[in-house]
Amino acid sequence: MGKIFTLAGKDLKLLLRDKASLFWVMAFPLAIALFFGAIFSGSGGSLSGMKIAVIDEDNTDFSAAYITELEGQSALRVSQMTRDSAFQKVRTGKLSAFIVLRENFGEYRGMFSADPLIEIGLDPARRMEAGYLQGLLTRANFTVLQKQFASFELFHTELDRIESDTSIWNDLTAEQNQLGKDLLSDLRGIVNNLEQEAAPDSGDTIAAKTGGGDLFAVDITAVTDDQVMPRTPFEVTFPSALLWAMIGCAATFAVSIVKERTAGTYLRLRLAPLTRTHILGGKGLACFVACVSISIILLLIGNLILGVRIVNLLILAIGVFSASFCFVGLTMCMSVMGKTEESVGGAAWGILMVAAMTGGGMIPVLFMPSWLLTISHFSPAKWSILAIEGGIWRDFTMSEMLLPVGMLIGIGVLCFGVGIGLLSRSDA
Amino acid sequence: MVAVKNLRKTFNSLVAVDDVSFTIDSGEVFGLLGPNGAGKTTIINMIVGLLKPDNGAINVDGSDDPTRIDVRMRIGNAPQAVALYESLTARENLTFFGKVYGLSGRRLKERVDWALSFARLEDRAKDRVDTFSGGMKRRLNMAGAVVHDPPVILFDEPTVGVDPQSRNLIFDSIEDLKRQGRTIVYTTHYMEEAQRLCDRVAVMDRGKILDLNTVDNLIEKHGGKAVIIAIFDTPPQDLSQFPGTIEGNTLRIETMQPTQDLVNLAQAGLKFRQLRVDRPDLETVFLNLTGRSLRD
Ligand SMILES: Nc1ncnc2c1ncn2[C@@H]1O[C@H](COP(=O)(O)OP(=O)(O)OP(=O)(O)O)[C@@H](O)[C@H]1O
Ligand SMILES: [Mg+2]
Repeated sequence: MGKIFTLAGKDLKLLLRDKASLFWVMAFPLAIALFFGAIFSGSGGSLSGMKIAVIDEDNTDFSAAYITELEGQSALRVSQMTRDSAFQKVRTGKLSAFIVLRENFGEYRGMFSADPLIEIGLDPARRMEAGYLQGLLTRANFTVLQKQFASFELFHTELDRIESDTSIWNDLTAEQNQLGKDLLSDLRGIVNNLEQEAAPDSGDTIAAKTGGGDLFAVDITAVTDDQVMPRTPFEVTFPSALLWAMIGCAATFAVSIVKERTAGTYLRLRLAPLTRTHILGGKGLACFVACVSISIILLLIGNLILGVRIVNLLILAIGVFSASFCFVGLTMCMSVMGKTEESVGGAAWGILMVAAMTGGGMIPVLFMPSWLLTISHFSPAKWSILAIEGGIWRDFTMSEMLLPVGMLIGIGVLCFGVGIGLLSRSDA
Repeated sequence: MVAVKNLRKTFNSLVAVDDVSFTIDSGEVFGLLGPNGAGKTTIINMIVGLLKPDNGAINVDGSDDPTRIDVRMRIGNAPQAVALYESLTARENLTFFGKVYGLSGRRLKERVDWALSFARLEDRAKDRVDTFSGGMKRRLNMAGAVVHDPPVILFDEPTVGVDPQSRNLIFDSIEDLKRQGRTIVYTTHYMEEAQRLCDRVAVMDRGKILDLNTVDNLIEKHGGKAVIIAIFDTPPQDLSQFPGTIEGNTLRIETMQPTQDLVNLAQAGLKFRQLRVDRPDLETVFLNLTGRSLRD
C-alpha cells in the first residue's frame, strides 16, 4: 500500500505542476459553472435578472397580483409590453423569454384548466432556461394562490367554481363524476369544520389556524420549493462543473499513463520491485484523489460564495465518490487506446465529450430524442450528475441513490477490467 | 554475477541478438561495444527482464529469473533514453525512485544525497529537471539507477550527446562505483570509453559477439601493428639496425612491439625533432573484425 501512495503522490505532484492540465481540471469547470450560472441568473453575481416580458391579456386582480409576485422574484427582471414588441425582443435576443397571461388566467387562478393559461415564448436557442423559468412561474403561482386562498371565502368560491365548471366534469365517466363530486363534498366538509374552529377570531386565515400555514405551505414545498427544485442556477451548473472536472482528470490521467510510456519512466517502474497492481493502483488512486479533491474545492466555492446548498452531505459524498470511481475506470480504459499522447488524448476527449453530450452535460435530458435517451442510460455523465445532484438539491434517499451509484460502479468496474486486460497484453 | 548463455532474440524476421554468451564476474566493468543496431540494448533489456529471450538462459546474481521482485532490487538500470519526471526536481526524482525501491527515512535521505553527489548535481538538487542541460539529465538518469545501491548496474550508452566535461564527470562516477566493487555493464559505441573504463569488452556487430577480451588482448589480437614515426633534424648515417623505412628526415616503423622499439631508438642516442607513436585501438580492432568503421 505504501508504494501505491508513493506512486499516487508522485502523480498528484505532477498534476499540480502541469499548468495546462490544471486549467482543464480546475479553472475550466469553475468557469463553466460561473459562466452558465451567471447567464441563467442574469447579470452578475446577484441573482437578479433573467430578462422577461409579461403580457397581461387577463387583466384581473389575480393576474395583477401574479405579475407583482414575478416582479418580486430576484431571479427575474420583468417588464410589461405588447405581444409584438416582446416577440421582437426575444427574437433579437434582448429578452430571454416572454410570457402571456391569457384570458381566464384569473378566473382559473392559473390552474386546473383544460387549456393552457400561460403561454411562454422562448428563443429556441435558449431552451435550457425553459425549465428554470417554468419553475419560477409555478412558484409565483403558488405564492399568489397561498396569499389569496388563505381566507375561507376564497376557498368556497374556488370549490364552487370547480363544481360548476362543465369543462372539467363533461369528459368524465359517470363513475368518475360521482367520485369527484364525493371528493368535493368531503372538501367542503373539511373547510366548514376548519371554519367553525376558527370562528372565535374570524377573518383569520386557515394557514394561521392550522399551525403556521401548514395546509398550503406543505403543498407548496412539496411541489415547487427548495427541496426538489434547484434554488439557484448555480445548483444546476455546479454538478456539471464537477462532471467537467472529472472528465478533465480522466483525460489528464489517461494521457499521463501514455506519457510515462513515451518518457520511459514506465519501464523504470516495471523494473522496480513493483507489481502491475501497484502501478495501476497508484494511477487510479491519484486520479480518484484528484477527482474528489477538485470536487471538494468546487463545492466549497459553490457553497460558500454562491449559495449552492448541500442538502445531504453523506449522499453527496457517496455521489462524488462513486462518480470519481467511475471516471477512474474510464481513465484506465482510455489510457490503453493508443500509443502516443496525441492519440490517447484525442480519443479520451472524444469519448468523454460523447459521454457528456449523451449524459445531459450539454443537451438537457429533457430535450433528447428517444434513441439518445436510451444511450444515455450508459453514460457515466448522466449518472454522475444525478448522483451528485442527489446530495445537492434532489435530496435523494439511500435507496434512490442505489441506481445511479450502481450504474457508476458497474461502468467503472467494466472499464477498469477492459483497461487492465489491454494493458497486460501490451506489456507482454 | 551476470551470465547469459546462447541468448537469441528476433523481432519478426530480424535477428537482433544471435547466440550471445558471456559471463561477468563480480566487480567487473564489462563493455558491450558495437555500432547502432548491434543489439546492445536488446541484450540489456533481456538481462533486466524487460524482454523475454526467444532462446537461451540468463542468470543474474544467482537467479535465472530477473523479473523476480527480490532480483529486481539488486539490479540498477539506466536506460539509453533519459527516463525522468521532467516537472519534478532532481531530488524529487531520486527520492521517488528510492521509495519505489523500498527505501525510507534516514537511509533514503542518505542514498539520495549520495546519488546527487554521484551525479554532481548537489547544487541543482532543487531545480526541476526540465531546466537541466542534456548532460545533467544524463547524469541524473544514471543516478536514478544507483540510488537503491544495487550490486549489478547497467548503463546503456550514458554518454550520448554529452559534452567532454560532463563525460569526464560520468567516467569519474563510474570509476567510483567500480572502486566500490559494483558489477557494471556498460554499452557504448565510443572506443575511448570502453578503453578507459572496461575490464573486458565484447565487440558486437549485427547481433553477434565477434570477440570478447580485455582491451589489451583485443588490440594485440586484432589491432595489427603500431606505427612509430620519428622525425630527425639530421638523419643518422646508419639506420640498418632499426626496422622500418626512411624517407628524407622521417623514419617510419610498423611494429608489434612499439615499446621495445622505442627503447632501442633511445639507447642508440638519436636526436629527434619529433616522435610519435600511433598505437592501434579498438577502432582498428573493429575495422579489422568487420571491415567497417564503427561509426559511419
Ligand atoms: N521493439 C523492437 N521491435 C523491432 N525491432 C527492434 C526492437 N528493438 C530493437 N529492434 C531491432 O533490433 C536491433 C538491435 O537493436 P538494439 O536497440 O539492441 O541496438 P543497439 O545496439 O542498442 O543500438 P544503438 O547503439 O543504436 O542503441 C535493431 O536492428 C533494431 O531495429
Ligand atoms: Mg541501444
